[in-house]
Amino acid sequence: MSRIYDWFRDRFDLDAVAAFAKKKEVPLYRGTFLYYLGGICLFLFGLQVLTGILLLLYYQPGENTAYESMKTIISRVEFGWLIRDIHGWSANLLIFFAFLHMFSVFFGRAYRKPRELTWMTGFILLALAMGFGFTGYLLPWNELAYFATRVGTNIPGSVPVVGGALLKLLRAGDEVTGATLTRFYGIHVSVLPALFAGVLGLHLLLIQVLGMSVPPSQERLPPEERRSIRFFPNFFLRDVMVWLVILNVIAVLAVFFPWELGAKADPLAPAPAGIRPEWYFMFTFQTLKLLPAHILGVEGEVLGILGFGLGGLIWFCIPFIDRWEGSHKVSRAINVFGVVVVVYMIVMTIWGYLA
Amino acid sequence: MGTQPRSQERRNFLNIVLGSGAVVWLGSLVYPVLRYLVPPATAATDVNSVRVATVDELRPGEYRIFRFGRLPGILFRMEDGTLHALSARCTHLDCTVQFDEEKQQIWCACHGGVYDVNGRNIAGPPPRPLERYEVVLKGKDVFVRRGETA
Amino acid sequence: MNRIRDAARSVLPLLATLAVVLPAQAAAGEDACTDCHLGMDESKETQARLFSHWADDIHGQVGLSCADCHGGNPEAFDDEDAAMWNVENFTGAPERTEIPSFCGRCHSDPAYMRRYQPEAATDQEAQYWTSRHGLLLKEGQDKVATCTDCHGVHGIRKTDSPLSPVYPLNVPETCGRCHADAAYMAEFGIPTDQLAKYRSSVHGVALFEKRDTGVATCNDCHGNHGAMPPSVKDISKVCGTCHATNQKLFESSKLGQIFADEELRFCEECHGKHGIQKPSEAMLAWEGDGVCLRCHTDADTGPREVAGAIAASLGKLRSHLEEARAEVQHAEEKGMEVSDLLLFLEEAHDGLVKTRTSVHTFDPAQVTRAAEPGHKAAQEAIEGARALVENWVFKRKYLLVFTVLTLPLVLLTYLKVRQMERS
Repeated sequence: MSRIYDWFRDRFDLDAVAAFAKKKEVPLYRGTFLYYLGGICLFLFGLQVLTGILLLLYYQPGENTAYESMKTIISRVEFGWLIRDIHGWSANLLIFFAFLHMFSVFFGRAYRKPRELTWMTGFILLALAMGFGFTGYLLPWNELAYFATRVGTNIPGSVPVVGGALLKLLRAGDEVTGATLTRFYGIHVSVLPALFAGVLGLHLLLIQVLGMSVPPSQERLPPEERRSIRFFPNFFLRDVMVWLVILNVIAVLAVFFPWELGAKADPLAPAPAGIRPEWYFMFTFQTLKLLPAHILGVEGEVLGILGFGLGGLIWFCIPFIDRWEGSHKVSRAINVFGVVVVVYMIVMTIWGYLA
Repeated sequence: MGTQPRSQERRNFLNIVLGSGAVVWLGSLVYPVLRYLVPPATAATDVNSVRVATVDELRPGEYRIFRFGRLPGILFRMEDGTLHALSARCTHLDCTVQFDEEKQQIWCACHGGVYDVNGRNIAGPPPRPLERYEVVLKGKDVFVRRGETA
Repeated sequence: MNRIRDAARSVLPLLATLAVVLPAQAAAGEDACTDCHLGMDESKETQARLFSHWADDIHGQVGLSCADCHGGNPEAFDDEDAAMWNVENFTGAPERTEIPSFCGRCHSDPAYMRRYQPEAATDQEAQYWTSRHGLLLKEGQDKVATCTDCHGVHGIRKTDSPLSPVYPLNVPETCGRCHADAAYMAEFGIPTDQLAKYRSSVHGVALFEKRDTGVATCNDCHGNHGAMPPSVKDISKVCGTCHATNQKLFESSKLGQIFADEELRFCEECHGKHGIQKPSEAMLAWEGDGVCLRCHTDADTGPREVAGAIAASLGKLRSHLEEARAEVQHAEEKGMEVSDLLLFLEEAHDGLVKTRTSVHTFDPAQVTRAAEPGHKAAQEAIEGARALVENWVFKRKYLLVFTVLTLPLVLLTYLKVRQMERS
């Protein structure tokens, strides 16, 4: 083991890398467990890439082959069901933990200077992850996915001015067809992975360079009372433990709560009752459903979409809105804003399912 | 071994156990992946074409029932040597049809439905024709291909 | 005759337009016939009978008019004598006993019919006179069915129109108008339960509920115009027009020979005629609903063994198929993908149908042989289903193994961390 290390050390400045790695520390306090969340997202993404590549080996995009190849994977390929169910569950968990991670960063004010860019790259990663979810959902070309995509792509279509062009761009045409499937497939397996890898690399580099953020409650303490543990190898090994448990949980979900394939998409059939988007889009979907058809002469849906756009922009720019000039006071307004957003999203999601 | 301090011994022991545990665990991960990579026996994702027989296997007047995905099909050779393939599910009450060598027609034993060589229902209760398939010869193999649904 | 046709042809285009466009009782008569008869003080019933469906009538649609059938002069307006009584060819409404020859004037004339329907038959009238209806009509019995009773009058639709009384799906009820009316049929001394029996039969259910136009109805067994109950020795052939295999097997079987010699009623003896039900092994039982006991007795051990052996073969295949169905359903309930197995079930069902057909050989060896493909398919379905369920169990076992490997590994990692941090 050490001989291999020496071989590399003779060629690369490994010591500097090791020193660089040793620097990273995680504050040790009641909320240390929150620092697992980012790592979990990273692990789940890795799992997605792995299972995604495996699925790629059998999946055949196309109106006449997508559904059939999915059927082959889950019923004929050995452990195909496992790869597919892991991919499906891990996708949902990834987005779930990404939200958790984002909110814990928000309430822990980890976006403060100098970590504004980390926050922004993180937000982009969340958007890309949801894009992964949206495009990937269509790929089995089953009934639910087809209609959910139809409804889902209608929404950007309502954006003023660019909506029509956006819709056509997304759908590769006016309707959701095999061309849409091809486009979503291309986006899902090359465009998004490339973007995600790039932004993720940046995100991780920033974290490594800037170090772990210390929450305001810890910052207020005198230096002697602040405790921390080294990231490599201590916290990292703990990360590994968490990842092992999560992998096991996913395996249990894959076996006991497998993903259904359902019926093949039939564009000519009427939409079945209860078409819904995936849960992470539910709050937007439900909001748009509740908005009245017209508000002050403008279409309700358009206002809703613009509202979400504006909200997203505000959220994205939070590091610049929550001015921090050296004071350790935590802005109550920001806290309230955050709580309102979380509660709103949860309530709207639940409402969407009850309706 | 006895020259090492107890803590070192314990560390070694833990390392070994941890290492072997990790290897076995990795094995339980790698095994499904390896089995997954082996393609299944019948890689029939979308059954649009099926190899039914070799050219020599069907003499004039003979027929064979084959499976097209979930649907039965019939491949038959006419007196003049030409090969034809049709859906074998009778459009009356779903019985499996057969080839009547004497009359050179497709016949359903259940209620006497008769179809011509192109699948058209020409006598008896069947209300609709049988779907036609394309016969493709590749070397010595006879393939039957289903057209794209319009 | 020719004069009428010539007259008709000269006004053909006009009449054609009129006949097609004429709404019921609304238009002023465009020829003398309708001009008077529409405006007459005839009862609503008569008016309806004469005119309400003329637009649907095939005769009207091809340009024929009142005079073409009834004679008279359609251009003699407001003059009864000139229009009817003084015209040589005027026949007016024919007597019931004259109806077949009335229609037959055109329909039995190949040269005439060739103009309107080249491929149509022209032997209906000839056939009719050989039928029971025709024979009785010749004797003057006018309660029997004639052309208009089945085809309608003044509103005759083509036979392939679903609204025609002789469209396959409507035939049983058309025949039943008389044959199911006990009061009407009283003097003829034949049963009137045929329609009721038919409704409950396999053929009736297929016709009335499944709307299968290919299923046997009255005319398929009795004939159309030459309708007559099939003679005893013809019953097998009549059923055999659809059930060809059953006929062939039975006629060449030992039992078939005996039936021919004893002049028994072939298919009807065991299956009935109008109220034919789905057959089952119960028919072979030597008790209760068993049909064999209609001729045999308890003492006939030979035949009894044959029936028993055949019933056993059938029963074995049927229960094998049921077992296969249950196993496939079990696998499906466990959430497995069973669509490939469904083809085996269909093959097995196909085999059961063929085995049931082979019963008509009344040879246990042949029946057992016929059952083999069905057994094979059922077994393949069972094994496929069991493999799927095994897979379901395997998944859970593997998960257990994985968990058993993971949890200690987590623990070991924790111990390693603790160990590292202590030093």
